[in-house]
Parts: sequence; C-alpha cells; structure tokens
Amino acid sequence: MFVYIVRKLLNTIPIIFGVAIVIFVLFNMVGGDPALMMVGKHANAQRIAELRAEYGFDKPQIEQFVQYLKQIVTFDYGRSYATRRQISDMISDGLGPSMSLTLPAFFLTTFLAVIIGLVVAYFRGKWIDKSAVVFCVFGMSIPVLAYILFGQYFLAYKLGLFPISGYEQALSERWQYLVLPMILWVVVSLGYDVRFFRTAILEETGQDYVRTARAKGLSEQKVFFKHVLKNSMVPIITNVVIEIPLLILGAFLFEGFFGIPGIGSITIEAIGNSDFPVIKAMTTLFALLYIGGNLATDILYTLVDPRVSLK
Amino acid sequence: MHSFHIRFGFAAVAVFALASLSSCTKQSDDGGNTLRLVTTSKIKGMDPAFADDLYSGTETSRVYEGLLQYHYLKRPYELIPNLAEAMPEIAPDGKVYTFKLRKGVVFQDDVAFKDTAGKGREVTADDVIYSFKRLADPKLNSSGWWVFDGKIAGLNEWRETQAKATTVDYAAAVGGLKATDRYTLRIQLNQRSYQFIYALAMSFAYVVPREAVDHYGKEFLNHPVGTGPFKMTEFNGASKIVYVRNPTYRKEVYPSEGEAGDKEAGLLEDAGKPLPLADKLVVSVIVESQPMWLNFLAGKLDATSIPKDNFSTAITPTKDLSPDLKAKNVKLHKSPSLDVTHESFNMKDPLFGKNKYLRQALSLAHNTGPLIETFYNGQAVAAQGPIPPGLAGYDAGYKNPYRQFDLEKAKAMLAKAGYPGGKGLDPIDYATVTNSTSRQMNEYLSKAFADIGVQLKINSYSWPEFQSAVKNKKGQMWGFAWGADYPDAENFLQLFYSKNVSPGPNDANYQNPAYDKLYEKSLTLRDSPERTKVYQDMQKMLVEDAPWIFGVHRVTFALTQPWLKNYKLHEFDYTRAKYLRVEPSLKK
Repeated sequence: MFVYIVRKLLNTIPIIFGVAIVIFVLFNMVGGDPALMMVGKHANAQRIAELRAEYGFDKPQIEQFVQYLKQIVTFDYGRSYATRRQISDMISDGLGPSMSLTLPAFFLTTFLAVIIGLVVAYFRGKWIDKSAVVFCVFGMSIPVLAYILFGQYFLAYKLGLFPISGYEQALSERWQYLVLPMILWVVVSLGYDVRFFRTAILEETGQDYVRTARAKGLSEQKVFFKHVLKNSMVPIITNVVIEIPLLILGAFLFEGFFGIPGIGSITIEAIGNSDFPVIKAMTTLFALLYIGGNLATDILYTLVDPRVSLK
Repeated sequence: MHSFHIRFGFAAVAVFALASLSSCTKQSDDGGNTLRLVTTSKIKGMDPAFADDLYSGTETSRVYEGLLQYHYLKRPYELIPNLAEAMPEIAPDGKVYTFKLRKGVVFQDDVAFKDTAGKGREVTADDVIYSFKRLADPKLNSSGWWVFDGKIAGLNEWRETQAKATTVDYAAAVGGLKATDRYTLRIQLNQRSYQFIYALAMSFAYVVPREAVDHYGKEFLNHPVGTGPFKMTEFNGASKIVYVRNPTYRKEVYPSEGEAGDKEAGLLEDAGKPLPLADKLVVSVIVESQPMWLNFLAGKLDATSIPKDNFSTAITPTKDLSPDLKAKNVKLHKSPSLDVTHESFNMKDPLFGKNKYLRQALSLAHNTGPLIETFYNGQAVAAQGPIPPGLAGYDAGYKNPYRQFDLEKAKAMLAKAGYPGGKGLDPIDYATVTNSTSRQMNEYLSKAFADIGVQLKINSYSWPEFQSAVKNKKGQMWGFAWGADYPDAENFLQLFYSKNVSPGPNDANYQNPAYDKLYEKSLTLRDSPERTKVYQDMQKMLVEDAPWIFGVHRVTFALTQPWLKNYKLHEFDYTRAKYLRVEPSLKK
C-alpha cells in the first residue's frame, strides 16, 4: 500500500502542474489587471506602473509562472493584494469558522442519510419508501438560497428560535450562531444523499449473492445488514469522501448570509478583486485536497472490500 | 419502523432543544450605552494609509484622527479643527498653511510605546509629518498617495530619492513639511490650492505613531493605535469589530449649533456633552442585505440603510415610512448624495470623439424620468451637469438642453449627425459590469436608443475586466458613478481635465484646451462668486460637448431605531459614531 500511496502522490505532480497552467492563463492573461483594481478611482499611469513593478506584473509571463510554481512548492503565496494580509493567516483564520459549520453538518447529514437510506431501502415499495422519495425530490428541487431566506426569515426572525446572523470566537457562544445554518445544510443535503444511498443499497439487493443468501435461508436482517450494507459501502464512501475537500473550502452562501467569517467567500471575493495570490492559493489548495480525497477513498475501499487491493 | 420513528423523533426534539437554548443565550454586548452598527463590506484593515474605501475609512476614523474634520451638523459641509487647535493660517499667496496642534492629545495606550511602558505619548507636529511621509513612502505604496501627489513642496522629490534607496529614510527632510516647534506645523505647497485643505480631513491623512508602525510591522493594519474617541478591542474584518470608549481621549464636546431644523429634530439636546457619548461600539459585518434588514427589524442593529429589495416594504409610494415601521417608532433619514451617475462616451473613439451631434442625439433620447422611478425609487435628482446639489456651482434652475427628453429632437439631431434613423451606424460597443442591476439598466438604455434607431452591443465584464476595458479605452460607451471625495465642485470638474484621461479618472477621455484653461484658473481661486461663475462656465462647455449623458444625483436613505440619538446623514460621515448614543429608557 505504501508504494501505491507514493506512486499516487507522484502522479499528482503533473496534475498540479496542469492545474497551475490553467489557473495562470485564466487569471494572468484573460482576467482583469490587478494593478488597476489596487490603484482605485484616482489612478494615473505612473501609479499603475509603480504597482506593477512592486508586485512583479511587469516581469515576463514565464518568469511570473516560475514564481507561481515556487509558491506552490513552498506554499507561501505572500500577501493578498486586496487586504494586504498574509494569505496563510487568512486561510488559518477562516478554517475554524468554516469547519465548525461544515464538519458537524456533514457528519450529521451523512449519519442521518445512511440511516434513512437504509430504512427506506428496507421498506422498498412501501409507503415509507414512497413518501421518502417524494420528500427527497421535493427537497432537491428547491434552491439552497430559498432554504436560507426562508430559514432566516421564519425560524430566526419571525419565531425567534435562532439568532439571525453573527459569529463569536468563543466556542461557548459560537455554537448558537451555527445551529440554524447547520440545520439548513442538513435539510438541503439530505434529499440528495438519501436518494443516492437508497439507490446504492437497492442496487445491491438485486444482486445474485443476495438471492443466494436468501435461498440459503438467512434472515432478512442478516442479509440486509451483513451483506447488502457492506457491499453498498463502496459507492457510499466515494460519495462521502469526495465531499470532504468542499467542506474545508467552506460554503460561501451560508457564510455570506449567516455572517460566518470562513474561507468559503475568500475565493469568490478574490476573483472579484483580481486578487491573484489568493486565487492561486485557494485553487491549489482545492486541487491538493481533491487529490488527497481521492487517495483516501482508494484506501478506504480496501477496508470495506477485501477484493480491492492497492498495487 | 418503530426505531425509525424514535430516531426521527429524537432528532426533532434535539433540533428544537438546540433552538430554544440558542435563543436564550445571553447576548454579550447588550450594555446600556452600546451602539450596534453595521458595515456592509468586509473590512480590509485598519491602516489609514490603505483606507481607500468608504468602509475601511469609516472604521479607521473611530480610532484615528486627522488635523481637521467636518462639522457634524452644519450644511453645507464645513471643515473644523480636530487635532489642530484652530483652522490653519493661510499665507496670502495661498501656498503656506500653518497649523497649531492641540496640546496634551495622547495616543492610546499600547505595548508599542516601549519608552513609556505602554503609556500613550503626546502627539506632536513630527507625528503629522511622519504620517504624511508615510503616504509618500515608495516602499509602502499607499493607495492614498494621490491626495498629496504633486502638492506638497519637496514631497515628490523625497519619494523619488527614497525609491532608489534600500531603506526609506524618514529623517530626510522635506522642504514643504516643517515642524517649527513641538506643536506647530508649516506646510508649503508647490502651487496655490484651495482644495488641498480637504485632504487633511480624509482618513488617509490621519496621524499614526511611528512606534506602533515599527512595532507591528506588516501587521500594523490589524493593530490600530490612534488618538480617536474609541479604542479597538476585537477585530475580525469579516464578522465583527468591537470598540470601547478611549479612556485617554481628549476633551471634545458635542456641537451646540447646526443647520435649521436640527434643534427641532432633537439634534442639539446633547450640546456641550463630552464625546464620545457611547461607551461601546459593536460593528457587525453583514454583507448580505436580508440578514442586515432582519437584524434591524429585530432590534439587533441601531441603524441601517434600506436594501433595494426591501424598499417597497419600508417606504410607501408617497415616500413615507411604512405603517409597520412607524408603529415601531423607527425614524427615516433622507439626504441628497454628493454624487453623479453618467454614461460616458469614449472621446478617443474615432466615431464618438468627432461627432458631437451623435452624442447630443443620444443624450436627448435618454429619458431620466422613468429611470429614476424604476431604479432609484423615485428618489433622485435628474443631473443637468456634473455638479450635484449642495455644492457651489450647482444651479437648481438650470436645464441642460440636451437632457430634456425629446424623441423628435433626438431623431433630428441623429440625422444631423449623419445617421438618419440610425442608418449606417454600427451597434455601439457598450462596456458594462455583470450584475442584475446593471443588466436591467442596460436594457433600459438599449430600449431608449432603439427608439431612435440606434443599436447597443452590450459587453458584460467582471469588475476587474471592466476596469481594464475602461482604463485601456476599449469600447465606445460605459456607465459609471462618481462620489465626492470632498465638498467642492472641483472634485467633479477634474473628471474632464485633459491631464486626468484614462487610466486617470477622466474616463470619457475628454480633452478641451479651453476647458483646461478654465479648470486651471478655478484652482487659483478661493470659494467666491467669481469661482462659482468659472465652475458654471465649465459646466456649460461640458453640456455643449456632451462627453457624458448626465444621469442622476442620488439620495441616501437610512433608518434608525427610536433609541438611537443624534443620527444625521453625512456624506463624509467618517467620525459619526462619537456623536451617537443609545437612550436606554426607549429600549425594551
């Protein structure tokens, strides 16, 4: 397995290089000029030239690209053009708030979705299953923003069950602001997850080995929990693990509406400001996390399915 | 099935238990005299040298102060002393400003003051010089350099010399910045300027202590140390900033006079009381408009602007407060903004640069009336020129002949321009920003032009791309707005000065030697009927040449809770918080 991991990690180098080229071309050659963004409304040619020189925009593109590659290796992207803050600080400051929302919400969603998925698959074709499917489709058809606007207006403002928005550093006070976005997150994701898990489980129940198990006289519970559940774990794990990088990057819509100072909105804002160092840092981070997520999925497969071996 | 019910029931109970707990949690900032304000943009930092947007400017002004400030209540806007003891003495040639500083003003206590064991020391004229040089520091590259660029004698030379040096030498003298004694500052200008003085009330020109800049280095932007009314205790530019009353603040009192109507509005009740009036200030960063609006309705914010989507629920068609808000005793504040919106013609474009009649025709075809109703809730003034109401040079009775909507006249003018019925005219290349309001406004403009047979080709860009297009003169037309940096029409008229063409603020790239001559003349004149006349003559030139389709002067709205006292809209409201207080008896 060690060799597999090393090889997989080595494989990421050309991927990262490819990602770097795409990002560089997109934002360095096609996007706006960051010097113009920085100089503001009282611009003049001299100021723009000074800023270009200070940030190295006047250097040849190839030199700028090499500089970018260096930053990827050292993971030191310097300071944001827009906020002038150290990017590593921006990320580490935002990580806590983002993850304190997304991680619990994610685990809760997965936990609930697997349980509900199992229940509805167990009662396949019965009213529980049918109504669950209807609810799932209904839930999936409503945009996230509608949930947020509704939750904020009715649950927080009208009923006063939660604070409308806000955030506190102290954990003892922080959680109260996270409850509502967390509930909404769960509601938003549940429809998709339950439907997916239900399908994954049902697909297994139609397999030959299940029929064999039943023919051998195994109880329905045993067939379901011992055989079906274990085998349906592969698609479930793929679905779950692939979401993890997204969690670390936060949820900009939730963060924006609930005033959570996470890193979800950092990338969006950076693109709006042509804040190239931040864009570079965030996209590279995302690519790395995604590759890491894939690797973790592969390793987890071996744990749930002995037929899979990593070579 | 049984267990499913139990589990689901448990989850539901847990959710509501959490909900009830969270709503019962004690709010930590519910002190009696705590102001709870909002900012709608993330705060970049607290360094005055980079406070280049309204939001950072406002936050830095809670902690820092400059030599001058604006009178809170008087209109038209009037400069008054702040760190200066009195208004400066200005030499007859208009080039030398002498300031006397207030004695005994100290910086806030901070660990950066190592010599005094953390105790804030007194502000001297040298601190002002240091802060001004900091704006010019070529290694720092402050975004506020434009306020002094080319204005103070020797400062540009100092900047150039330091740019070549490895480290910036703040001890090197600048001829135009001299501390003649501990409390006296002499500023020598390169040429006479009556607008220079406004720079001294801007957040860029706030006074910072060198000890703090050196101590915190690049992190100075997160550690403000000023002389201002409040001291920052918590900073998270993306969620919340907390300030408390600065215990070492100098004695400054609430103004005892204002404009007509202020007394009746209760704005003079606190006259003579020491500032700041509030003990604590909590500024929430709320970027989205719905949570801001709901927080205000729930009484969690003391003041708010009115989001576009909530305007019709807050304000009745007769422009009064809605009955719901009236019942809550919410107060509505309205004030004309010192700004102008406009559509620019790119005068560098071979077509528009040479065809005055075409520009005039399009100007005539653009109807501002429905625009104001649709996009500004009926609350804006149709602009006849660049100068907004409230500034010398604005003439309420003046009507721009090319801004009185007249389709027939527009068509005739288009024919005169050589394109009868729009024939032979390619679609106009119009650069715009990708967002819903711009899109709606562009549709309106397209329709207006289509009515005389002119087509618009809309190119939507992200904001950075849009900036690049305009600054590189790519495109034939684009829309913009300009907000005043200071209350002088010159700030609007410089938008047409030939030396300011793109990438400068003259985005129409208008160049007219006769206009330049008048502009340069206006700079040498004090505020006087003579200067006002020059401003109006310049405006007439612009009207005739039509480098812009003048849009509107907007109106600012705000709502305040009944318990918030002394709120008054102010165009340069950087220091407002010190005048505000909460009346606890009116707060439930």
